[in-house]
Amino acid sequence: MCSYGLVDHRPRSDALRFSSLNSTKINNHPPQFVSFRARPRSVPTIRSSLSDTVSEQSAMSFYELLGIPETGTLLEIKQAYKQLARKYHPDVSPPDRVHEYTQRFIRVQEAYETLSDPMRRELYDRDMANGVHLAFTARKRSMFDERMEEKSAWKRRWQSQLSELKMRSMHKDSENNMSWAAQLRRERKQS
Amino acid sequence: MAVHGVFMRVNQPALPYLSPRKLSYGGGVGRKQFCVKASGGSSEAEEARMVIRKEKDGWKIDFSGDKPATPLLDTINYPVHMKNLSAKDLEQLAAELRAEIVYSVAKTGGHLSSSLGVVELTVALHHVFNAPDDKIIWDVGHQAYGHKILTGRRSKMHTIRKTSGLAGFPKRDESVYDAFGAGHSSTSISAGLGMAIARDLLGKNNNVVSVIGDGAMTAGQAYEAMNNAGFLDSNLIVILNDNKQVSLPTATLDGPATPVGALSSALTKLQASPKFRQLREAAKSITKQIGPQAHEVAAKVDEYARGMLSATGSTLFEELGLYYIGPVDGHSIDDLITIFHKVKSMPAPGPVLIHIVTEKGKGYPPAEAASDKMHGVVKFDPATGKQMKTKSSTLSYTQYFAESLIKEAEVDDIIVAIHAAMGGGTGLNYFQKRFPERCFDVGIAEQHAVTFAAGLACEGLKPFCAIYSSFLQRGYDQVVHDVDLQKLPVRFAMDRAGLVGADGPTHCGAFDVAYMACLPNMVVMAPSDEAELMHMVATAAAIDDRPSCFRFPRGNGIGAALPPNNKGTPLEIGKGRVLIEGTRVAILGFGAIVQECLGAAKMLKSHNISATVADARFCKPLDTDLIRRLAKEHEILITVEEGSVGGFGSHVAHFLSLNGILDGPLKLRSMVLPDRYIEHGAPQDQIEAAGLSSRHFCGTVLSLMGRQIEALKLQ
Repeated sequence: MCSYGLVDHRPRSDALRFSSLNSTKINNHPPQFVSFRARPRSVPTIRSSLSDTVSEQSAMSFYELLGIPETGTLLEIKQAYKQLARKYHPDVSPPDRVHEYTQRFIRVQEAYETLSDPMRRELYDRDMANGVHLAFTARKRSMFDERMEEKSAWKRRWQSQLSELKMRSMHKDSENNMSWAAQLRRERKQS
Repeated sequence: MAVHGVFMRVNQPALPYLSPRKLSYGGGVGRKQFCVKASGGSSEAEEARMVIRKEKDGWKIDFSGDKPATPLLDTINYPVHMKNLSAKDLEQLAAELRAEIVYSVAKTGGHLSSSLGVVELTVALHHVFNAPDDKIIWDVGHQAYGHKILTGRRSKMHTIRKTSGLAGFPKRDESVYDAFGAGHSSTSISAGLGMAIARDLLGKNNNVVSVIGDGAMTAGQAYEAMNNAGFLDSNLIVILNDNKQVSLPTATLDGPATPVGALSSALTKLQASPKFRQLREAAKSITKQIGPQAHEVAAKVDEYARGMLSATGSTLFEELGLYYIGPVDGHSIDDLITIFHKVKSMPAPGPVLIHIVTEKGKGYPPAEAASDKMHGVVKFDPATGKQMKTKSSTLSYTQYFAESLIKEAEVDDIIVAIHAAMGGGTGLNYFQKRFPERCFDVGIAEQHAVTFAAGLACEGLKPFCAIYSSFLQRGYDQVVHDVDLQKLPVRFAMDRAGLVGADGPTHCGAFDVAYMACLPNMVVMAPSDEAELMHMVATAAAIDDRPSCFRFPRGNGIGAALPPNNKGTPLEIGKGRVLIEGTRVAILGFGAIVQECLGAAKMLKSHNISATVADARFCKPLDTDLIRRLAKEHEILITVEEGSVGGFGSHVAHFLSLNGILDGPLKLRSMVLPDRYIEHGAPQDQIEAAGLSSRHFCGTVLSLMGRQIEALKLQ
């Protein structure tokens, strides 16, 4: 039986995914897509020392962080970034909340860098669709691994395309295919 | 390292006499084959010193020194030598091939980054397919340097694009591995389909592979071919090499050009927008609910889902009848080999399009970083990528043209410029920078460019179509039917007229005088130097009631005095000029070849012959007064042009014969390009081969005067 890239054959008790589209929490791990967290890391993780305060913020997507809709334009992203940067910059934050504000500022900056670059935004959007969320601490090596993610998604797709083509090519020269080449091939086979 | 049965580690860099194939016992006997591992180093210390080595994110080549050792590449003379290499060997081979290309082009100049981008593809193709029985057709062909190296021409790569050397594009005469000659774009699918159909009719069963780029996909002929391929349903593999450049050159003056046209955005938008994501979620849930039993329904849903969520580009190809596979990482040899093997082994796949994504100039950091990706280069230094451009006191004709067009457009705001993906080559990048909304790049689509210009002219704008002389051949019917027949004032600026040097006959503009001057309403001009070029741009801008064209060659100006502020003044239409007054002999030149005529006059003076040299300026309408006068006052009249028969010389002869002047004592000779294609080479060599140098004019005159011995003795 051919495997289609989308069909999931394991029994699932989860509800339909439609309702969960707007939420970006990691509640959907389709088995055919590798979860970012589950994959063994070969490069040591760069952990921030204040990762515990970051973790609650890391549950937000970049869009939520900047306060813009997912279909936000570059201009909106820029405006949101400028606003937030001005607000959370360490130099202008109140002294008792410097740490927290600095963390937020760094997060906002990372969000802006990812979303303002069209290619990285694309990859980020796709990861969100897969239910994967790039944590802040993974930023340093994320470009390379994003590419790897993209490449493996491509590989899955063309593998399924190849198996489909194989199926089709078995029946290509059946009697009802009236194309020029199919007729010629049938004639050759018979002779 | 991996062991396949017994293997020998060879530390010497090259073993040309020991081909791996000879050691394999019946190639294809399972996996237990003998293979020679011709790798250059075995110990850790040697690995560290190796110039080509594998790192985490790819192979790294050290370009800072001399050419690195290429032990594996040295064992490959023909594609058959690659058959037994393992995947890791093929990757090493690709890295070595890259280094070879960079160092080779660094010495000779030529096209660099296109070949670098398809190194993995070339290696994979030759490993899987059996050239020359399997046909591999490269579109345009400037990316085929790797192909030439792997098919027995490595030792001659230092002669590429030089006189009597390798051609810069695939050429059937040169090698049996070059299945089809290329130079102009978008012909590979058509040619491939022809070869596939011939194979079917003759009952053979080889494979046919056409490699086409995303830029060449913007031309209509590619779609005509795909449409036909889909209809005929013959087995054909089309590889779409997508490096996201889609415009030639790959840059404006400031940086990479954003892709031209809607097609490119279709190709790049693979799975990005939130809407696609939602559709995909929906599709997933639907197929999940159907469950494993209903195969057919699931297959249909899958097809629809694939159609919904795969690139809009892929459904375009599917509609044309090609099976779309992709996108594929074009730099992963593993992936490519897997796909090629699978498609090759299928009984009847029909036409298949494999969409691979590559990076132009990959593996050579200066090319990756350059704004034009080092597409076409002169000699350069491999360590830095810095090109050794020769300094010249004058600019190229292209730059003078761009400059004068800008000046015209500054005073007249209805002047617009159109080109077909050749912003750098035609100089219109400068125009684009100055007047961004008045410059139109239509992609590789000359036919459309001409009719588009016609449409602009209908509404009163002044369009300047800057298209190379040989590329305008593609849009010729549009010139005749849409422009000339309706007498629309479109101006054609035909660059690269005449012989073009290293690019060879595919880019040679030999025929434009003939095909333009035979049109009833066209004004045909040619400047003899850069100042004349500026005046002709102004003249063309002033001609508002009929189409006009002017042709100028490749190369630099001669240093003529430019008009003030680089703004030309319109010439009187149909009037030439006399440059040197003489007595017995008249040489009437058309175009930049007049400079050679002046050289000939000097040579004749040393033989005590005084010659008149005239610059015709116009082929249509001819300066009839000038021609009559020259015919009356001289014994010998020689017309000269750097074009084929049927051009300026023919028009002059026709005029003279109709007016009875040929019935008299006049001796008329027309010097034109010979009736054969002139091979690529240095410009001066080509002129000599064509017989259009000062020496040849002088010799012709001396022969006519009965002084043959002196003619033969000329240097």
